[in-house]
Amino acid sequence: MSDEISFADLMASSIHDMKNSLNLQVSALEKIAVRCQARGDQSGFDELGAIIFQSNRMNIQLVEMLSLYKLGKSIYPVDMDEHAVAEVIHEVVLQSQFMLGFKGIQLSVDCADDCYWYFDKELLKGVLVNALNNAYEYTHDRIAIVVRLHNKTLELRLEDNGPGYPQTMLRSAVASDKGVNFSTGSTGLGFYFCEQVAHMHKNGSKRGTLHIENGGTLGGGCFVLTLP
Amino acid sequence: MTLALRQSTILIIDDFQGMRTMLREFLKSMGVTAIDTASNGKDALQQLSGTKYDIVICDYNLGPAANGQQVLEEAKIKNYVGVSTVWVMVTAEKTPEMVMGAAEIRPDDYLLKPINQALLETRLEKLIERKQSLAPIEAAVKSLNYADALAQCDHQLKAKVTNPHEILRVKSDLLLAMGDYAGATALFESVLAVRDVPWAQTGLGKILFHDKKFAEAKDIFRRVLQENEVYMEASDWLAKTCLMLGQHQEAQKVLLDAVKLSPNAPTRQKLLGDTAFKNGALDLAQAAFEKTIKIGEFSPHKTPAAYTSLAKVFTEQGSPQDALKTLAQSKKEFRYNTEAAIQTAAAESVVYKKMGQDDKAEAAMHEAERLIGTAAGKVSAEVAIDVADSLLKMGRKDKACSLLQEVVKNNHENIELSKNIEAIFEDHGLVAEGQALIAESRGEVVAINNEGVTLAKHGDLLAGANLLRTAAEKLPNNEVILINLCGLLIGMLSKEGKSHQIASEARELLDRVRHINPSNKNYHVYTAALNRIMGSH
Repeated sequence: MSDEISFADLMASSIHDMKNSLNLQVSALEKIAVRCQARGDQSGFDELGAIIFQSNRMNIQLVEMLSLYKLGKSIYPVDMDEHAVAEVIHEVVLQSQFMLGFKGIQLSVDCADDCYWYFDKELLKGVLVNALNNAYEYTHDRIAIVVRLHNKTLELRLEDNGPGYPQTMLRSAVASDKGVNFSTGSTGLGFYFCEQVAHMHKNGSKRGTLHIENGGTLGGGCFVLTLP
Repeated sequence: MTLALRQSTILIIDDFQGMRTMLREFLKSMGVTAIDTASNGKDALQQLSGTKYDIVICDYNLGPAANGQQVLEEAKIKNYVGVSTVWVMVTAEKTPEMVMGAAEIRPDDYLLKPINQALLETRLEKLIERKQSLAPIEAAVKSLNYADALAQCDHQLKAKVTNPHEILRVKSDLLLAMGDYAGATALFESVLAVRDVPWAQTGLGKILFHDKKFAEAKDIFRRVLQENEVYMEASDWLAKTCLMLGQHQEAQKVLLDAVKLSPNAPTRQKLLGDTAFKNGALDLAQAAFEKTIKIGEFSPHKTPAAYTSLAKVFTEQGSPQDALKTLAQSKKEFRYNTEAAIQTAAAESVVYKKMGQDDKAEAAMHEAERLIGTAAGKVSAEVAIDVADSLLKMGRKDKACSLLQEVVKNNHENIELSKNIEAIFEDHGLVAEGQALIAESRGEVVAINNEGVTLAKHGDLLAGANLLRTAAEKLPNNEVILINLCGLLIGMLSKEGKSHQIASEARELLDRVRHINPSNKNYHVYTAALNRIMGSH
């Protein structure tokens, strides 16, 4: 058995460390931001909010990179188990509470309390956090999470009231190609991650899917994940 | 915010000052006032030994010494935390240990970073609530009152709990532990009819293993692993199954893959070492035993067998000095442990023999035998087999055989032990002799047992019981004899009326059986029957 460390392993362990630092940083920044708001310093609050938003993006990408690295090496501890879908969504919302408040976004969740489904909880949370973070940027002021059961398949929709996805993205056949745009800094990592996670979920011969569309209940972009 | 959370006493264990401060502030903001912190496993255990905490929030990665899992294991085994303590493990990423079934002792939940206050608060509240439903079941399991635990599971399943699968899993473990394989099979199949889940598949595999259908069991464990590469429980069972099928190379490969994913389980590393040693892969065996010792240092699974096994590897590699050094270390580590002293002395004698120092070899073996004499009847089968192996290497075949006869007679239905004994005879080129010894010793016990049971069937309960009483004196650790004797005594009680003397004899037998194998099927049946007969005044 060799204890040799490869570059990829080194990167993976560095990502851990960065995540720890980011966690502390975000938590400290949120505290300062709340203090700013309390003493009526709106511009300080706004500036900090923008910084926190960027820190969150970094955190999300680090998590995705680490998960993809492990999935690629088949060492990700996939753990398909039954969970209450509403509880998982609730945790994601809690994680995003500050951002929603900062951006003044009204979020609604439509999911039955007794809706249980099989999935890897951490991976699904990763997908939801990603979709939510995306929606912050493009929505006008509302986001809705809608969960339905169709033909023994769980459908999870994240809809907003923004301008929707551009036609070029909707036409692209591969979901992960949709996001690549070097001028805006979008790398496609997020979509690629979500697509991988969807595909990993299967029951019998059916697999999970991911697609995007425009319209929905709020008339903006819709991010649609199905899990068999 | 519930009252329960605000009034909780909480211990935070984290090696990182920044995290400790952050968590403490989160908790303070929730209104918690009783908060302690520890920066490493040693400090944490010290505090856990003195204070009964309601909640422990522990980082998995605690720096160079013990990790969070090891702290949890030690705290549980030393009873510093009971069934009502909520233990939350904080990790930076998902690890194989987090997948259900990877470890015997598990925290109540894992919390993945990043953590914020709102998330921590809801999670803790949910866990307190869940603890209230699971703690009574856990308490019943801990006191080995399986029937009661089972009844509580059924009660909760009927009441439509929020986590039906979790309760079903606990229930299936109970059914397996009580030997109710038909009930367990039905449970697994009903779960699998709706969805293909690894724990239920693995459960069916375990039942096939128990029925000695190893090839079929192997297929199932393989399939589970193909779908869930990181499902450690299936991997451990697959390795065990390969060994039963005599497929040692394959078992080695399975274990090697498993330790790459989850390297910190001492029992898995030890099994890898044993398997590699059998396969002649000495370097691999050496690495595995060294790792077993290293991770065992902070673990309740610390065992002298890791040291004696490593010494055997060194001896085979032609480095007897290293072997002696390892054994000296074992003596130091297990100063107050007679079994360890026996095992170490026997191993030493083999090393000296190999070095040509026959006097020292004789002296060491003499010491091992003397210690066995003082520990009469209390030497575990594993140690006895290890000593017998040394005796064979010393050319003391007669003594080795009589030791092994005892082991077989006391465990005549344990096929895994018989396999190990066969392997030892095989190493010394005595295959036929080994098989004969096992068959003969087993046959003797089976004959006595059958005779006792037959007498009872023909109505002479007393004669049957007396026969088994004599056998039980000679074989104080034979589970089958003890439980059958107990069955006859209960038969006498129900036929001839209450007798406190017989009832207390039966109770003592039940205690001994429980000590040998807490999951003996009849143990639970007879305990209930005895309580019914004697309790109905």
